Amino acid sequence: MLNEERVILMTKMESYEENEGKKNVKIGSYFRGDYIGLQILKSVISASIAFALVFALYIFYDFEVFMQDIYKMDLFAFAKDVLVAYLATIVSYGILSYLVYSYRYSKAKKSLKAYYDNLKKLNSLYDDEQ
Amino acid sequence: MSSLLEFREKLKLIYSRNDIYIISVMKFLLAFLALTVINGNMGYMNKLDNLAIVLIVSLLCSFLPSGCILFFAALFSLLHMYELSIEVAVVGLCLYLVVFLLFLRFSPRGSLLVLVTPLLFVFHVPYIVPLAAGLLATPAAAVSSGCGVVVYFFLSNVIANAQAISAMEAEEAVAKLQLVINALLGNKEMLVLVISFSFTIIVVYLIRRMSVAYAWTIAILTGGIANLIVLLVADLKYDTNMSLGGAVAGTAIAVLVAKVIEFFRFCVDYNRTEKVQFEDDEYYYYVKAVPKMTVAAQTKRVKRINTQRKSLSGRGQRTRSVRPQEDLSGPKRGRQGSFVRSGTVDEDMVMDVLDEVVVSDAEDFVNEDYVEDEGYVQGVEDDGALGYGEDAEGYPYEEEGYDSEDVPRNDPNVYEDL
Repeated sequence: MLNEERVILMTKMESYEENEGKKNVKIGSYFRGDYIGLQILKSVISASIAFALVFALYIFYDFEVFMQDIYKMDLFAFAKDVLVAYLATIVSYGILSYLVYSYRYSKAKKSLKAYYDNLKKLNSLYDDEQ
Repeated sequence: MSSLLEFREKLKLIYSRNDIYIISVMKFLLAFLALTVINGNMGYMNKLDNLAIVLIVSLLCSFLPSGCILFFAALFSLLHMYELSIEVAVVGLCLYLVVFLLFLRFSPRGSLLVLVTPLLFVFHVPYIVPLAAGLLATPAAAVSSGCGVVVYFFLSNVIANAQAISAMEAEEAVAKLQLVINALLGNKEMLVLVISFSFTIIVVYLIRRMSVAYAWTIAILTGGIANLIVLLVADLKYDTNMSLGGAVAGTAIAVLVAKVIEFFRFCVDYNRTEKVQFEDDEYYYYVKAVPKMTVAAQTKRVKRINTQRKSLSGRGQRTRSVRPQEDLSGPKRGRQGSFVRSGTVDEDMVMDVLDEVVVSDAEDFVNEDYVEDEGYVQGVEDDGALGYGEDAEGYPYEEEGYDSEDVPRNDPNVYEDL
């Protein structure tokens, strides 16, 4: 027989699974460290590509002057400056990623906890019926 | 106000019934608008500036995820830039990639805002962006709207310098690059707008989340004023040559649009605010509940009720409740069709319900046709000598004027005037 409370609960849970829950279930399948580590790795790769693009534009922007100076300039000092700029970009972007994704992880876990509580409630509704 | 609320409910009803089609049509229109604007303003590649291609891509966007609209718009603009000059296209590609890799990574849903912001700039109403984003989104929208502003100024610079770029020789690749990058980096107006949009979005968001009466209206007005002040101060400080009259007019339009958004998203009645306080084992709760303004959307329902009992036979189960035998002594004669459940149902209300009843011919009788309104009346008999009904819980209504014990069941005088 149809149990109204159960049907309402199942509908809500299905709707959650279809929308917001899909993302959260995926996040919840990771350990906290794994999830945040993976996201920071992705962020570092993205930031590296972005840095390379901006650096390439910077070089091409003043290409002629750069080519004239390349024999005169201290290449080690230049490489050191570039490396420092790169590391600064990566570290600041990595910290930002850490903050954002640790917040998202805790939010997803909280939301999943409510979902699992509903699962238990659903289970108990089945048990009550039997 | 009630007619506006009714209109809103009707719109909601239409949307909830046809949301799949409406979302597809909206995506199609947005893609079509974006691509047409790009083709109209850039249009350097003649092959792309073709209505058939725009229509096909828009149709494709109508069922693909909304981020694809931004992708195709970026692709179209890059192809136009490529036709103009490969160096400009390279700068454009780098800009789009940086925006995608660094900013849209955090908020993929913000892609729509990156698309809509330049479009609203083209239509001279950019100030809608910070107010609407502050009302509907989170402060993360500041990043997306900032990206949108940068993209708009980059494209408008390319369009403004298109003649100069196309006049340059192929050997002047670096000069082309410098022209485009200088135009972007040296644009103070862009910087000012990025700051004012971000500031306004955060201000609007913070105020609308406050637990004060008319928070959304205060947020809209404060946001509008904050936006104008930032623009004014920046104009005085950096001499950006922005049109302040245009900014005031644009902000006024934005405030109006934001009020419309408020009506659809946050229409509450602060006069009926309830403040309650209670506790459980762990907490004290100080709850402020503000009721939403709603009216039921009017739907036309034709109720066909026929009293010729012969037509009732053989028409399936008759679900209309018939007063049980013992209750027949209960109904008291009164004005035909007026049912009053003592003390709980207003007579006028019941009369309003009855006004909806359309009495049809005998052949049209269908068992399932009953008067239903707010669950008060389920069954009505019009001229069949008896007037009776029952509410949603199955309680019989009593007609006014007589007490049940005054009326003997078999007294022929009881029904004489019905």
